Amino acid sequence: MKFHLSHLQAMLLFALMISIAFGFLSRRRPLDRVKYIVWSLFLFLLFGIGIGWAMYPFSR
Amino acid sequence: MTDETQPVASPPPYRAREARAIAIGVAGWVVPGLGHALQKMWGRALTFFAAVGLLVIVGAGMRGNLFRSEGGDAFAALGYFADLGTGSFYWLAKYIEVGGSDVSHAYGDYGTRFLAAAGVLNLLAALHAYEAARGRKA
Repeated sequence: MKFHLSHLQAMLLFALMISIAFGFLSRRRPLDRVKYIVWSLFLFLLFGIGIGWAMYPFSR
Repeated sequence: MTDETQPVASPPPYRAREARAIAIGVAGWVVPGLGHALQKMWGRALTFFAAVGLLVIVGAGMRGNLFRSEGGDAFAALGYFADLGTGSFYWLAKYIEVGGSDVSHAYGDYGTRFLAAAGVLNLLAALHAYEAARGRKA
């Protein structure tokens, strides 16, 4: 079994899994969980892509 | 005069409750989600089982580095403890990763992070199950 995920795919999968797990861990009501998961996922992607772009000038 | 008061159902003694909480925490570590399943928290149980399982399968499938006990340096020891956090899924990762790790590519390095994250996540879930069994949080 082999997976060849791109950088973006790996980040998306990681962010989604961690967000869902944290949402279920820290919230009890379904609506609160959904809000937490969406917000956490958004921040994961924002910081991931933001840090990626911040490193861009030093990549060459 | 006789005492006619009926004995009321008292909560289990502290030690029994503590032993049960520890058993639930250990069960949650060995099989991700089992600690919550034993307390009938089905949503959390299924979520942790699926999340940890998926991270382990993908991490091992990306040929991440599954650390072993004879690592050598502190980083390898930390990685080993993180990987051990996946409980029985550690052997699942070993079974999937028959070709060994390959961190010469980016996806292999990501796989290492996936495996470590799965372990730490499962330890967190097991700790939560333990605390819930003690009645501290739910």
